[in-house]
Amino acid sequence: MRLFALYLAFFCIPWNATLALGQQEAITQEQAPANTESVQKLCLKQAVMCERVENLSPVNPGLVFSVSSGQVCCYTSFDPVPKHTVIYHRWFRRDELSTQTRLRLYPSKWSTYSVIQLRETDKGPWRVEIIDQNGHIFDVLRFSITD
Amino acid sequence: MNRFLALVSSIRWQDVVDILINSYILLRVYVLFQGTNAFRVLVGVTSLWIAQEVAASLGLILTSWAIRGITAAAAIIIIVVFRNEIRSVLQGRNIKTFLWGLPNRDQQTPVDAIADSVFQMAGKRIGALIVFPGNQDLGEVTHGGIPWNGQVSAEMLMSVFWPQNPVHDGAAIIEGDQITEVGVLLRLSHRQDLPSQYGTRHRAALGVVEASDALVVVVSEERGSVNVAKDRVLTPMQDKGMLSQALKQHLKMPDFSPVRQRERERLKFAAAACISFLIMAGIWFGFTRSQDTIIALNVPIEYVNRPSNYDILDTSVDEARLQLVGSGALIKSLGPGQVGVRVDLSKAAVGRNTFPITQADIVLPPGISLNKIQPATLDVTLDVPSAKDLPVQVDWIGRLPENTALTQVSVTPETVRVIGGSKTLEKVNSVYTSPTRLDTLSKSGSFTAQIVLSPPSLKLAPSCSDRITVQYRQEDINPSGKK
Repeated sequence: MRLFALYLAFFCIPWNATLALGQQEAITQEQAPANTESVQKLCLKQAVMCERVENLSPVNPGLVFSVSSGQVCCYTSFDPVPKHTVIYHRWFRRDELSTQTRLRLYPSKWSTYSVIQLRETDKGPWRVEIIDQNGHIFDVLRFSITD
Repeated sequence: MNRFLALVSSIRWQDVVDILINSYILLRVYVLFQGTNAFRVLVGVTSLWIAQEVAASLGLILTSWAIRGITAAAAIIIIVVFRNEIRSVLQGRNIKTFLWGLPNRDQQTPVDAIADSVFQMAGKRIGALIVFPGNQDLGEVTHGGIPWNGQVSAEMLMSVFWPQNPVHDGAAIIEGDQITEVGVLLRLSHRQDLPSQYGTRHRAALGVVEASDALVVVVSEERGSVNVAKDRVLTPMQDKGMLSQALKQHLKMPDFSPVRQRERERLKFAAAACISFLIMAGIWFGFTRSQDTIIALNVPIEYVNRPSNYDILDTSVDEARLQLVGSGALIKSLGPGQVGVRVDLSKAAVGRNTFPITQADIVLPPGISLNKIQPATLDVTLDVPSAKDLPVQVDWIGRLPENTALTQVSVTPETVRVIGGSKTLEKVNSVYTSPTRLDTLSKSGSFTAQIVLSPPSLKLAPSCSDRITVQYRQEDINPSGKK
């Protein structure tokens, strides 16, 4: 596990919502009706690797990131989110688990991301698995850290 | 006494066979070369070698060094100087004589019959020239002979030298009880001091004895005299008895009866056999029972009887360090294939197995014993072969141009089937290409890349190619984040 230089950012970004400043997590103002929660299923709408997240959107998405950029983010967006739940971003470098980030999701839509700080020794092929608390894999994002 | 009994009880049947075979070889060498000058020199060289070993063990540096040099030179000298003698010993015998013929089987020369025949020819003024070879080869002093190989008899000799016989002017060679060649031309002596009455036959007889250890009997055609040429001297023979004595002396024939002679030969042969056995037993014990040298060897570990459905995934060590004890000669002669460590995997199970490395796992040549093994135990991890479909990922290196991003990459095929141990495959979830440079890419396009499997124990399924096609696209970006 990465103990050094890992900066875990798990901003939770509600769509059509106001960020609750001063909190690590913001909750959406738009709550889904109780009867739809039972039939709807958590669905990953967007997953992308990017240099950073600004204004609720991924910036400079790509598949290769220079170590000089300092960080790389895994941005995920879920719609719908039937109920309050958690997902995990599992970061692997060459099949070896580097770090795992626990992120909260709130109804009815939610976007969130995790970020790692880059070092010279991080160069190489990476993948991020986006999974739920039962181990179900929503998606696997593959990218590389280079010079 | 107890030590002696322990020593005897430790001898295996193979050791007895070993000693007997080499004793027999030594005995055959003695049988073939006995009585030759080469054999006497060989005994001398062996004595020198023993003296050199004694001198070395006593710490006599200069003496042992000098004797070693002399021994090496003497070995070469034997081959060069006695090459003709060695050749005649080796060529003049058939395979039976070579391997198991007894020395006393050689037929005795019928000396009395020859002497009788010679004096009969002298009486009839029939010229004759008869050669009795010694130990030296006559190849360089004779030529032009006709092979005869007939039993010696008075009548036969008379007929060979009968004046009407086409070969009567040449010499006859007698070996054992056989006339081996007739009509042989001999080298003539060039001596100037010979009496005038000596003719060509006498010169030929002297020519042979000057260059060899043979004996030649000359019968003069003009005067009916008999002479024996031996050691550069011509000696007149007065009667048959004198000639018989000269021949017996040359042929080393004893005066006692042939039966007693045969018994003596057998006794001599038995004594030679015993001495050969004792010498070889001594050498064998010196070689194998001496425990004066210790050597440490790193020996690769072999795994045998592996269940066919298991693969070896990992081993704690690849080599075992063996400390071996034995005689210096045996230790020095150890070859790479003679020492082995073989671990039996027939009872191994999937997962990690710990085996003690015991004496039974070590293969050693006879005469070498094991003193110590490191490590004492060995861990072997076995696994069941399995297959898994794994996604392929490009291993990018280098740097993209400024303000560009690699936005799209696809590989074909997306997955490949990989074969390996199930435990290994559990930990592997991707395969990667060989490092691929970014700075040589154009805006978009495709290329092929090689798949590199890690760990190396993994293999691609036969149906999968080790190359994949990569399609890519780059896009311009600006630092603010807008494409």
